[in-house]
Amino acid sequence: METFLQVTNLAKRYPIKGEKNKELSIFENVNFEIKKGEFVCIIGHSGCGKSTILNNLAGLDLPSDSSIAMEGNRFDKPSLERGVIFQNHSLLPWLTAFENVFMAIQCKHKNMIKQEVGIKTKYFLKLVGLEASMHKKPSELSGGMKQRVGIARAFAIEPKLLLMDEPFGALDALTRGNIQDQLLEICEKTRQTTFMITHDIDEAILLSDRILLMSNGPEARVAECVAIDIPKPRKRSEIVKHPSYYKIRNHLVDFLVNKSGAIRNQLQEGLISDANFPLQIDSTQL
Amino acid sequence: MTEKNKSILLSIALLILFIVLGEIITGDGDRSKANMTEYEILMGMDEKQAHVPGPIEVIKLGIKELSHPFYDNGPNDKGIGTQLFYSIIRVLAGFILAVIVALPIGFLIGMSPLFYKALQPYIQILKPVSPLAWMPLALFVIKDSIMSSIFVIFICSIWPMLINTAFGVMSVKSDWLNVARTLEMNSFQKAFKIILPASLPTIFTGLRISMGISWLVIVAAEMLVGGTGIGYYVWNEWNNLDLTSVVFSIIMIGMIGMLLDSFIAYLSRFFNYNE
Repeated sequence: METFLQVTNLAKRYPIKGEKNKELSIFENVNFEIKKGEFVCIIGHSGCGKSTILNNLAGLDLPSDSSIAMEGNRFDKPSLERGVIFQNHSLLPWLTAFENVFMAIQCKHKNMIKQEVGIKTKYFLKLVGLEASMHKKPSELSGGMKQRVGIARAFAIEPKLLLMDEPFGALDALTRGNIQDQLLEICEKTRQTTFMITHDIDEAILLSDRILLMSNGPEARVAECVAIDIPKPRKRSEIVKHPSYYKIRNHLVDFLVNKSGAIRNQLQEGLISDANFPLQIDSTQL
Repeated sequence: MTEKNKSILLSIALLILFIVLGEIITGDGDRSKANMTEYEILMGMDEKQAHVPGPIEVIKLGIKELSHPFYDNGPNDKGIGTQLFYSIIRVLAGFILAVIVALPIGFLIGMSPLFYKALQPYIQILKPVSPLAWMPLALFVIKDSIMSSIFVIFICSIWPMLINTAFGVMSVKSDWLNVARTLEMNSFQKAFKIILPASLPTIFTGLRISMGISWLVIVAAEMLVGGTGIGYYVWNEWNNLDLTSVVFSIIMIGMIGMLLDSFIAYLSRFFNYNE
């Protein structure tokens, strides 16, 4: 598979207030690539800059240093080719679910006639199982339903790259499970290239082809890249039986609990080198 | 009994209490004729004295006035409806002019921090000026009393609209603006599909405040410029020492003010949203 998105030496630094010429580095030297059709998750503790990376990929925020190239082209502003699902759904509250999706499709297909846009809107709302309540305002929908409208809106513009910032963070466990299953199904169907932030290890294993692990900030790194070799299509109830599942899971937990905090010091003391990051890991090594 | 019914009942009870108390406190202005000389009676001293009217007197006048609200017997004797109509038209004219000016400028100020900072000192200085202070200048420049009172309404209602519009535009959630950016909206689409609907509830709050102030100010303005309108009517009846009409018009001013306010509140319902 060809490389679709290439991120090289991404870094974000903020000036420190009151101190001239000094900058606080959020993350440095972040390198990874995403292939077409791949589902990549990124996990790390709060404050390591996951959301900033995602905003950089979306073009909503500019990195201090980098080259990000999508299909070989660099960009510096948001585009319809990169859909974003925000953490807090970000639906426009004065529009109904239908109108929210409708507007997005109109932005993508500027010359499409309204009837056709309407048909497309219904198709995508049906995809997330919301055809029954599509004429309700977001305030009349439950948290899970709102997030599903957000998913429908993002898929509706048929982006080349889908970016998701902890899309299920605010949902209860049961709802989250349902929507994960739905997302799994849609991604299976559409072969959507996706980059997702999550805090949930099980969610990451269920959905992704590869998981990027970030060390703690400031000066965070993408330290490891773990390949998930559990065959797709996956089912929540069955993946736990796969021999790699617990090996991978334990490795992720071990990284987040024991290793992620120490990496910055190890780098400073020269015990490890930036050149090695990210370490490529798959279940045969575990 | 529901909470609503209880409150209605209490309101009615208070009204009755108020009428009874009012009747007890106020006199009827009668003077005893017994000790008057014929000369005094001839001079009209047996007629009723000016007095604060009791509620029943006001109600009687109210029924009389409201059954012919639009009569016109020359400049000094017009029906209450005619007078109120003039005032409402002036308020609406000034108010609509203010909307036309304030909303675009407010939008601009809200969108651009540069304009916001540049215009801030002027707004802060002009806002606390009593609208009536503009009156001499307006009369001199415009040379027309009716247009001057419309200008006064315009100048007093522009500030709440301006400030609320700017504030509403400034406080549009960055998430929604990010949605606009990821959908590659141009500035025009962003303004009309995201920023305007997002700030409309705040804008309407400004409109409501402005409408309230306009209605307060028109009475005072018409007292100054005279001619027609409810403010002129009140002052004219004071000059006639007809306090019953004064009290009646106070009540009418209050009622129309309430109607104007609920009209804007009703309109705003169509643009409000819950998050």
